[in-house]
Amino acid sequence: MNASVRISVSSLRSHKRRFAGTFLAVLLGVAFLAGTLVMGDTLRAGFDTMFGNATSGTDAVVRSANTITTPGESQGVRQPVDTGLVKKIEDTPGVAAAVPDIQGAGQLIGADGDPIGGAGPPTLAGNWIDDPKLNAYRLAEGRAPSKSGEVVVNRGAAEKGDLKIGDTTTLRTPDPVEVTIVGLATFGGEDGMAQVTFTGMTQADAEKYLTAKPGEAASIQVRAGPGTSQQELVDALTPVLPQGIEAITGQESAEENTDMISSQFLTLFTTFLLVFSGIALLVATFSIHNTFAIVVAQRTRENALLRALGASRRQVTVSTLVEASVVAVLASTAGLAGGIGVAAGLQALFPAIGFPFPEGDLVISGWSMLLPLAVGIVVCLGSALLPAVRAGRTAPLAALRETAVDQSGASRPRAVVGGGLGALAVAVTLTGVLVSPSLWLAGSGAVLTLAAFVVLGPVASATAVRVLGSPLDRLRGVTGGLARRNALRSPKRTAATASALMIGVAVVSLFTVFGASLKATMDQTVSRSFAGDVAVSTPSFGAGGSGLSPRLAGAIAERPEVDTAVGLGRGVAEVDGKGRALTVTDPVALQRTFDLGTVRGSMRDLGTDGIAITEKEAGGQHLKTGDTTQLAFTDGEKKTFTIRAVYGRSELAGDYVITRDAWAPHRTQDSDTLIAVSFKDGVSAADGKAAVEKVAAAYGNPEVQTRDEYAQSSAGGIDMMLTLVYALLALAVLIALLGIANTLTLAIHERTRELGLLRAVGQTRAQLRAMVRWESVLVAAFGTVGGLVLGGFLGWVLVEASDGASDSAFAFALPPTQLAVVALVGLAAGALAGLRPARRAARLDVLRAIATE
Amino acid sequence: MNTATATKSAARVADAVKVYGRGDTAVRALDGVDVTFPAGRFTAIMGPSGSGKSTLMHCAAGLDTLTSGSAFIGDTELGKLDDRRLTLLRRDRIGFVFQAFNLVPTLTVAENITLPLDLAGGRNGRSAGEWTDALIDVVGLRDRLHHRPAELSGGQQQRVAVARAFAGRPDVVFADEPTGNLDSRSGEEVLNLLGRAVRRMDRTVVMVTHDPVAAAHADEVVFLADGRLVDRMESPTADKVLDRMKAFDSKGAPA
Repeated sequence: MNASVRISVSSLRSHKRRFAGTFLAVLLGVAFLAGTLVMGDTLRAGFDTMFGNATSGTDAVVRSANTITTPGESQGVRQPVDTGLVKKIEDTPGVAAAVPDIQGAGQLIGADGDPIGGAGPPTLAGNWIDDPKLNAYRLAEGRAPSKSGEVVVNRGAAEKGDLKIGDTTTLRTPDPVEVTIVGLATFGGEDGMAQVTFTGMTQADAEKYLTAKPGEAASIQVRAGPGTSQQELVDALTPVLPQGIEAITGQESAEENTDMISSQFLTLFTTFLLVFSGIALLVATFSIHNTFAIVVAQRTRENALLRALGASRRQVTVSTLVEASVVAVLASTAGLAGGIGVAAGLQALFPAIGFPFPEGDLVISGWSMLLPLAVGIVVCLGSALLPAVRAGRTAPLAALRETAVDQSGASRPRAVVGGGLGALAVAVTLTGVLVSPSLWLAGSGAVLTLAAFVVLGPVASATAVRVLGSPLDRLRGVTGGLARRNALRSPKRTAATASALMIGVAVVSLFTVFGASLKATMDQTVSRSFAGDVAVSTPSFGAGGSGLSPRLAGAIAERPEVDTAVGLGRGVAEVDGKGRALTVTDPVALQRTFDLGTVRGSMRDLGTDGIAITEKEAGGQHLKTGDTTQLAFTDGEKKTFTIRAVYGRSELAGDYVITRDAWAPHRTQDSDTLIAVSFKDGVSAADGKAAVEKVAAAYGNPEVQTRDEYAQSSAGGIDMMLTLVYALLALAVLIALLGIANTLTLAIHERTRELGLLRAVGQTRAQLRAMVRWESVLVAAFGTVGGLVLGGFLGWVLVEASDGASDSAFAFALPPTQLAVVALVGLAAGALAGLRPARRAARLDVLRAIATE
Repeated sequence: MNTATATKSAARVADAVKVYGRGDTAVRALDGVDVTFPAGRFTAIMGPSGSGKSTLMHCAAGLDTLTSGSAFIGDTELGKLDDRRLTLLRRDRIGFVFQAFNLVPTLTVAENITLPLDLAGGRNGRSAGEWTDALIDVVGLRDRLHHRPAELSGGQQQRVAVARAFAGRPDVVFADEPTGNLDSRSGEEVLNLLGRAVRRMDRTVVMVTHDPVAAAHADEVVFLADGRLVDRMESPTADKVLDRMKAFDSKGAPA
């Protein structure tokens, strides 16, 4: 064995403990990364199989070729096909069967009166297709619906809503429909397509409730006769189909569905997790670097002796790097095993929390193993590189000198470089935020700010620890004073230890601030634009929910307490070549319950050929009142509209407003997303709300909320996201804590004699433990405060940059309570990290400590 | 010297046995030692390397525990105390001067001197202030009070250690080779300081040394060899001690 290798192996063997922290940091980071990749692959493969199974009997799908996709939506709105085509298709040679597939939104109400699902995944309803080969759902229990009002629901939805065969409940389509469950269905062998809920009705019911007019379907599912391949079937169908209607093979359709799930859900999901494993690994980099830096410093004498005995610089550097590689490979390999374990655990856990994980074995690809392994090794070796080079530079003479701990920190070049970096960061950020709003500039500024914080850490740590620790002297006497001075000993080391926590806390605060700002923005939007007294809506998120019955607004308006009740529906059309969301409503009533800003022209007589648009859109397309613009609808029809009004504020009303009459010929399933209600003068808020609630109860019982409640519930999704983000960041914070604990353990090893002396002259074990713990808390406090400042600043940058880059105005908010909680958690975490090193230090044998060389 | 203080013991070990290791590798560092360190006296413990003199001091001072026999500080038997009480006893009733690394590097000179008092929570009040003030003058470091140990010479550091040892007015100060790392002039200063503390301030010092010149500063020297007390010498001089040690070398050290 090579000498360098031999030295590093023997050193590793005798100092296993020193690298425990490094080992764990790499292991956790790699496990997170590998777990994410394996789970992503497994889910993707699972969905592939599930769709393959579910739609294997469908050989071709006939549908409209036109879709209109509005900004912010991944799935376009497709025009329906005429069910009259079914006959024509059935007559085509090679076709065994063809059935219309009607699809719409339909949300079931559970046994407890609460709607089922709606928080993300779609809530679907459609016609129950009797030909089992053409139906993606299979009947698992009960029977198919045979008369109006009977439905089959997927088993997952039934379980969630505690519904059984024979139960009667309400289906919001959005008009409430009384339905009786006669059967339960499965999808591709599972209780549902992930958390998507499905209600299958008779074809007559589906046409009645889910389409704008009978004779329309989302698509037509076709089965080939014996001997006809999918492609042959499509080739045979294409000539008989009218203009604008296409046929695709069943396989293509299944792939499209899988892709949709992949791009909408899986990619987002895995990217999200990858970002957080990246943060965890970044934090780990700091901890690992610090450990190696300390170990090398502690080994100065040993390395100097090697150099004096004739070892070259390279040999010393290599021996340190070999040590790092051994740790890296072992930890990364263990991390891979951990990652597979995590994925397997989630696969077992998901079904238990009501998320059907597609069946199948874990998919472990070479890529999902090699990437985390490589990342783990690169992170570990990269972090050890600088300390290793420093080890090589040890002067042989250092062997003769007293080993001194590196006390440098606030060196002038560092202060200058850090200061310059900081100034540059602020300049770039402010330019990107205030002068010429650009996310790219703001992002670069944010990265530079982070770098400046890391570089300036050692310069700031001395002052910061002195200030943060000043109450300690008074509170904890000499124990506190000693803790403070220990933390001050090596500003560089303190800063490096704290940096890991700082990054963790910064990301936590960034999200906290951004979340609070989003909420404040919603609040501001509602209080500025919403002029009504109560809002009626169905709380939903993503593609879920079914909206409100379009008849509800009218019913509410008839109440004597109510002055105006206006429903906002949603339509889509292409304007100026791009898909746009249209607000379909009564423009006159709209103006009474929403503050539209300054309105030029009149909302009064839009009629069936008039449209109102926002100033921003008008400006962008150089339009003014009296001009005309062409709208292309999903049914292929193009119609010219005259701009009768231009209004200032788009926040709740949207950018394009047309009347219900104008939309009616092109409409799909009709629903309102929001009903704004204002009361007559003299009607108390409580009376008015009660009256509205009474009406709403008959329409599927949507939520009736006051302005404040509405603003709060609009922000409900944000809290959910924040909780998830916090859970994911816990790992990064844990790694940072391991770093603090490790640094302390190494420092205690360094100070063995001093601790022995303190014990000899009368420091009790409790006092010694407190001293180590307080040092830990101080380092954590420094990291936490740095992280709060950095995170607060980055949060501000993110909010302002989003404000500049998007249409809506963002409000910036600093949530004091949440940030105080973050600070407390940081400090408590510091105390926790100090527990073990403190216990170990207190166990030191006094005599042996004094005798230690 | 009056008889009352001469008879009162500051520290004492009775039938002290200390065995390190077990079985074949067992070493009897102390093999039945009986010795009393009278209050108000400066006693030196001498002996060749491996004679057990450091072990005797560590056990008498409560830093180490005896295998059998008993050790007393005043009337308190150390073997009956748990770790906490032992620590408190060290803090309140014993002072230490080690060969090296006597000071906490992060604390100033003044803070190092009052460290035991501060660890006790400063309960001794104002009289402690006057006492340490007087001590600082005796060791002659008033102009260095706010320096860190690293900024002092070895001799100065050792003088600070002496001041710290006496700061809590302990019953007894144990010094373990206090001049071992110093040049002869600095060593002389430290020894004079110890002597002055005993004679002028009525303190008690027990010092382990292998240097006859250092031992000559003591009132009495006890000689240890192979873990046994072999001789005592009143009013030692360097020459007399040296002669006694030479006698050891010729007949006393079979190994």
